[in-house]
Amino acid sequence: MKSTAAASAPATAGAPGPSGPGRPSGPADTAAPPPRRIRRQLVTSPWLFAAPGLAIVGVFILYPFVSTVINSFTDKRQLIEGKYVGLANFRELLHDDMFWIGLRNSTLYVLVVVPALVVLPLLLALLVQKQIPGITFFRSAFYTPVVASIVVVGLIWVWMLDERGLVNAVLEAVGAGKVGFLSDQWLLLFSAMAVTVWKGLGYYMIIYLAALANVPRELHEAAAVDGAGPIRRFVSVTVPAVRSTMVLVAALSSVAAFKVFSEVYLMAGPTGGPAGEDTTLVMLVQRTGTGLTGRVGYASAISVVIFVVTVALMLLVLRADRKEDK
Amino acid sequence: MRNSRSSRSPRISRSPRRAVTAAALAAALLGLSACGGGDDGGSADASGKVEGEITFQTWNLKANFKSYFEGLIDDFEKKYPDAKVKWVDQPGEGYADKISADAAAGTLPDVVNVSPDLVAPLAKAGLALDLDKSAGKYEKEYLPGAWKSHQVPGLEGTYAFPWYLNTGPLFYNKRLFEDAGLDADKPPKTFDELFTDAEELAKKSKGKVATLANVPTIEDFGRYGVPLMNKEGTGFTFNDAKGVELLTKYKELYDAKALDGQALTATPESTGKKFLTEAVAMNPGSALDLEKFKKDAPRLYENIGITPQISNTGKDNMYVMGVMVNTRTKRTPAAVAFAHYVTDAQRQMSFAKKVAIFPSTKGSLDDPYFTKADGTDETRVRIAAAKSLKTAVNYTPVLFSEQMKVELRNAVARALQGKQSPEEALDNAVKACDRLLKQS
Repeated sequence: MKSTAAASAPATAGAPGPSGPGRPSGPADTAAPPPRRIRRQLVTSPWLFAAPGLAIVGVFILYPFVSTVINSFTDKRQLIEGKYVGLANFRELLHDDMFWIGLRNSTLYVLVVVPALVVLPLLLALLVQKQIPGITFFRSAFYTPVVASIVVVGLIWVWMLDERGLVNAVLEAVGAGKVGFLSDQWLLLFSAMAVTVWKGLGYYMIIYLAALANVPRELHEAAAVDGAGPIRRFVSVTVPAVRSTMVLVAALSSVAAFKVFSEVYLMAGPTGGPAGEDTTLVMLVQRTGTGLTGRVGYASAISVVIFVVTVALMLLVLRADRKEDK
Repeated sequence: MRNSRSSRSPRISRSPRRAVTAAALAAALLGLSACGGGDDGGSADASGKVEGEITFQTWNLKANFKSYFEGLIDDFEKKYPDAKVKWVDQPGEGYADKISADAAAGTLPDVVNVSPDLVAPLAKAGLALDLDKSAGKYEKEYLPGAWKSHQVPGLEGTYAFPWYLNTGPLFYNKRLFEDAGLDADKPPKTFDELFTDAEELAKKSKGKVATLANVPTIEDFGRYGVPLMNKEGTGFTFNDAKGVELLTKYKELYDAKALDGQALTATPESTGKKFLTEAVAMNPGSALDLEKFKKDAPRLYENIGITPQISNTGKDNMYVMGVMVNTRTKRTPAAVAFAHYVTDAQRQMSFAKKVAIFPSTKGSLDDPYFTKADGTDETRVRIAAAKSLKTAVNYTPVLFSEQMKVELRNAVARALQGKQSPEEALDNAVKACDRLLKQS
């Protein structure tokens, strides 16, 4: 909405229109239509410029998307063309225990990871925003997990959380006893969530740092003059000022959390944890749809469900934002 | 409203609509073109002249055996001057997906390195050449069990030349056995002995040392003597009384901490690491592992014990590699000739001397290389493995797909956790595997 308003603003203010600079303006100009060749160019040129991008979108996004939706109504397998089966795949989903486990885990991931990734990076950004000696080191340190490969990160955490790993060694040293981080279904899932949050902190911290830089200093000063303490200033000044960024972070992280794959796959293994209890929906797509006997139709149906839920999540976040605006 | 908007800027409103229509049409066309499939290709007759260019795909072999394969290809091209072989190698990870994508796109190479579980869906899709028809004369060159390993229940024929075989002993940590008061020179041979020793080890170490790091797989069920599939190949049977008995025993091991705590999520790599760090007392392996023990875990190497696989049937498990010919090849004679050349006795023997694998050709295992001891552990492992291969069985049914393996593994995990009884868990696994079998 904002961008539309911004784009239309110069036009209403009388800025040069599509006829472009250098073209004589006046009553005669608005009355006579431009020559046909120019009109044609006005229509074709933007499309020509956009063509490479559109081609990429068409081949790598639109076609796979349409193809997935079509396949979800077929019994297609990797090596065998499928036939139309109507809603059979979706009906099967309703009776597939693993689908419900996947849906539960992906939803839990959103419920735990998103609030953490909305709040913690903001606090971290407030911390590293301060101009004190050596702060650049901390900023870089917090950002390091973002640039590290997820495979490397996953393996390191697996080593650390292993029964004979660093974390358990420390717990044993303080007399707490071993904890089965990688053998208990819930601990495994929450460990994977912790890794997602740890890896995402730096990325969202940078987004918040940019937003915080735009918060007028006077607002904080005025609040301080009015007697507001640091917590009150955070709640009444900082949070409202970065609210749109928080919405953005919530939208981005909820989509990413619902589609989580790598962390859980690396930590829980290809079976998705003990008895597959840590399987997420994307892991289920990978397991069901790949390999020579992969059920492409069924995996596509799961993908369609993921798409619908993802869109619903986005709409939910935007709706919440709009309500706040009102 | 709609009229007024269109009268204001007709072009602007129509163009995106046209673009959307065009994009949708393009997508539909792309979809149709994807359904189009490829050319049905070549003939099954391999009797013609060996000529033309063929592509040969191996499974993660280039990194270590580049010179061997280059030499082999040179020799083949010298023998058949009109033939040319282009060699491609694919990484181990995602190999099935690569074959799958190539098969769907009609770009599957002429000659492909496969395993029995990979050849089954390809044969079902009509992409693997029936060698009984096209190259039946070569059958007598191979061990009967190896030749049969690429036959698919429900289909007539044999769909790949047997290539190298592999099997391995069970390694055990003598020190851990001794610490538990067990006789380190008498490792378990049967499952009953294994269960007894494992419980003793767990008891004596107060649950700190597990004997095994992995849950039972389909091969373990096979070696326990459980019938895995019916004779027609139309349904799985590993939920019979013997299967339930095996799983019940494993449940007891798990409860006694004789099975590693992380066994439910273990991978071959993680179990290997557990054995290397002396967290578990036994682990299956191959002659290749000895080098690793020597280098990475010298203390373990000093205490290493080597024993045959645990088996109630008297037959070890073996893994078989094969070389199949794509039915769509345009150069059937060259492709069949090359697939046979790669897997003939001379080439297999020469490959076996480069790496710890075993030839599937008749008589090769009687070569002094596989029978004559020289006092080293490597040779001892090699001789024992070669001996066991003469009667070994590939327990994994060729129709047992990756998805089915996951179903079984999850069922085993549910039983070990006590969420389901062993019987209920196996019944559910068989039901799920039968459903997947019907869908395949």
